[in-house]
Amino acid sequence: MTCAACCMGVEFAVAAGFPAGRGRTCRYNQRVDRISGSSVERVPFLSGNEAIARGAVRAGLGFACGYPGTPSTEIVEELARLEGPVVEWCINEKVALETGAGAALAGARAMVTMKHVGLNVAADPFMTLALTGVNGGLVVVSADDPGMHSSQNEQDNRHFAAFAKVPMLEPSDSQEAYDFVAWAFDLSEEFDTPVLLRSTTRVSHGRGRVVPRAPVTAERPGYVKDIAKYVMVPEYARERNRLMLARLERLRRRSEESPLNVLEAGTTDIGIIASGAAYTYAREAFPKAWFLKLGMSHPLPYGKVVRLYESVSRVFVVEELDPFIEDQVRALGLPVVGKEVIPSNGELDQEVVFDALEPVLKRKPPRRRRPVLPPAPVIVPAPRPADDLPVRPPVLCPGCPHRAVYAMLRREKVAVMGDIGCYTLGALPPLLSLESCVCMGASIGLMSGINRRMGRTAAVAVIGDSTFFHSGVTPLIDARYNETPGLVIVLDNRTTAMTGHQGHPGTGIHPDRSSGPALDIEQLCRGIGVPAQTVDAFDEPAVRTAIRDAVAANDLRVLIALAPCILMDKGPHEQVLVDDDRCNLCGLCIELGCPALVAGDDAVEILSDCTGCGVCLAVCARGALSLPEGGEGS
Amino acid sequence: MSGTTTVSLAGVGGQGIILAAAILAQTAMAAGYDVKASEVKGMAQRGGSVVSTVRFGKEVWSPVSPRADLVIATEALEGRRALALLADKGTLVYATTVIAPGSVLRRERDYPDDLAQAARARLVQLVPVDAEGLAREAGSVRAANVALLGAATHVLPFAAGAWDDALELAVPAKILELNRRAFALGRAAAAPTEEGLSQ
Repeated sequence: MTCAACCMGVEFAVAAGFPAGRGRTCRYNQRVDRISGSSVERVPFLSGNEAIARGAVRAGLGFACGYPGTPSTEIVEELARLEGPVVEWCINEKVALETGAGAALAGARAMVTMKHVGLNVAADPFMTLALTGVNGGLVVVSADDPGMHSSQNEQDNRHFAAFAKVPMLEPSDSQEAYDFVAWAFDLSEEFDTPVLLRSTTRVSHGRGRVVPRAPVTAERPGYVKDIAKYVMVPEYARERNRLMLARLERLRRRSEESPLNVLEAGTTDIGIIASGAAYTYAREAFPKAWFLKLGMSHPLPYGKVVRLYESVSRVFVVEELDPFIEDQVRALGLPVVGKEVIPSNGELDQEVVFDALEPVLKRKPPRRRRPVLPPAPVIVPAPRPADDLPVRPPVLCPGCPHRAVYAMLRREKVAVMGDIGCYTLGALPPLLSLESCVCMGASIGLMSGINRRMGRTAAVAVIGDSTFFHSGVTPLIDARYNETPGLVIVLDNRTTAMTGHQGHPGTGIHPDRSSGPALDIEQLCRGIGVPAQTVDAFDEPAVRTAIRDAVAANDLRVLIALAPCILMDKGPHEQVLVDDDRCNLCGLCIELGCPALVAGDDAVEILSDCTGCGVCLAVCARGALSLPEGGEGS
Repeated sequence: MSGTTTVSLAGVGGQGIILAAAILAQTAMAAGYDVKASEVKGMAQRGGSVVSTVRFGKEVWSPVSPRADLVIATEALEGRRALALLADKGTLVYATTVIAPGSVLRRERDYPDDLAQAARARLVQLVPVDAEGLAREAGSVRAANVALLGAATHVLPFAAGAWDDALELAVPAKILELNRRAFALGRAAAAPTEEGLSQ
């Protein structure tokens, strides 16, 4: 059998999953064999971060970004020195992840790097990208800092993999750091999920010899419009959530088979489960022990854990920080020694591990116990209504200014990255005008990622005024900094509409309805050097021209489509009139999805909730729709 | 679960389901019951199907229930949809209001007309109410939710006084009188006849 764990392609004997004969896996011995040959001088001596960077380029990386943070920083720095990928620093980790996801959406293999606390900032897109999936491979590198050499806390980001239900790989040295990146990209594309590559200070800043591998070449996918996959409105997100839960079970089976999770036979009655840097400490402290070496540490391969227990009578979990693995082993009903002796804070080393475990070896081994494997979890399927009734999804209101912009936008050949608000409803039939909705502010980062990949304004962003202030400003600054082309359309309806018309910095309105200073979006954009133009959202020619000009210009612009939320305008409203003779029921106006327009028997009919906004007038090719004399829309 | 009554209020986002549920909950409390309620907000408000729930009894724990003893629906299709929630032999008090969903507006689907048939199969008692007509008579079509609630009083075990107090508590003062009129019109419109509207 080929040892795939170290990717050396060296044959070694295996019986029932255990290396036989030599008493060790090939991992270290064979690597030494190889590098003790004549090629020693040519094997680079790399830090883990440099190895991650080179491993990524070897795996066909197309785009990388991150925000500097010890111990992750050198990955992007090294990448910038290498040929191949587009590399940029981003304004923060959230924008970095959204931009990386955009590049992946456009088909690139993308990597986003950050330190552990950076993932807190990026948690919003991280949690939902786990639902949408990725298209091109997306690897998120989290470099944790046990011991807080250069950090404000010591959080254990392995929990993020479990939290987001995504696979996690943990290299333990530079060679693995190099090799695991390709595995991570393959997993990401095969399972259509972001993959967390978790490093720690000693992996990132440790050095070791790294045998280079042959480059991976594969045809890259292109951008695919798939609204139900990338627009996480409740109905679509529920389905993606089901797929994600089912995927987690498939990933667990993969983890079970994965050559990254190696059961290494020993010659003593001690078994140790470990991953990452902790594995190297335990390995030195107890060279004769059996090991379950976890390279893919989430989801945990229960079967391999059980096999270790069948081989030895006492098992330790050696891990830095939290009892992440230990808790899962304990839940299998198996006796385990871990955090009762292994420190929960700070870094470990071989002496700490030895001193912690050695006294326990004097205790009587625990009684063998039968493991209780967790049964597969229940996933509730989509409800199948007993009665086949027409569904009633939420819709944009009659007179909604968002509809006016979509009426123009849907005719243009650009990908429309969306955001969170009423306007997300533009993704639903019949408008189908919006192609992504991941989290607050994500539209702009996703747009940037796609456009960086495509080298032009292939995508535009649509974001509401309140959402723009929430987290649209930072990605706009980022796009400016990185000279990314694109068009950001701010649908400024002067309120936070979806949640019930709350105030925001652009209106200056407070919860008690008192008002303070209102920020001007146009001025703000100019302040960061992005040209901005405000047009009436209902002024179709102006909206259309602005969109076309921006897409053709391939620079960065902001278009503010201004018109207050129709619900704040109580009327009275004029209503659209239909010339029954001219109307031929072609359906152009019906496609706007206005609840006040209904297809009648001979002509369209206007219902009483029409506000006379006039958007349907602009799409009618036969001049069959009009407003009463003197009417000019709202 | 025994001893707890579940009322589901179904309709289209924006029809005033939440206010109707608040009035009902206040009434149940005024009548001395323990009450739990749940409402749906956010995206569901924008013209989508919405269901609020009010549960009352001696001691109520859960704010929701997949099974209702009574459904009050502010729109006919939503009433038809909510039959799925209703226990057999339950009562559906519904407004005859028709709001066509997008697929019907675009003529991809027909607006269903099988309510009576479906109700009969489930032994559900139907109470149709021209809630919008009554509300218009009271002064504003927007009070249709409260007119409908008035019609539902006959199948709820609360005294008139409890309803009056609740209206005053839940409805903003500016529109209280209007809503009182709508409520009274609804109550009168659905008053039991000789054939009987009995629970």
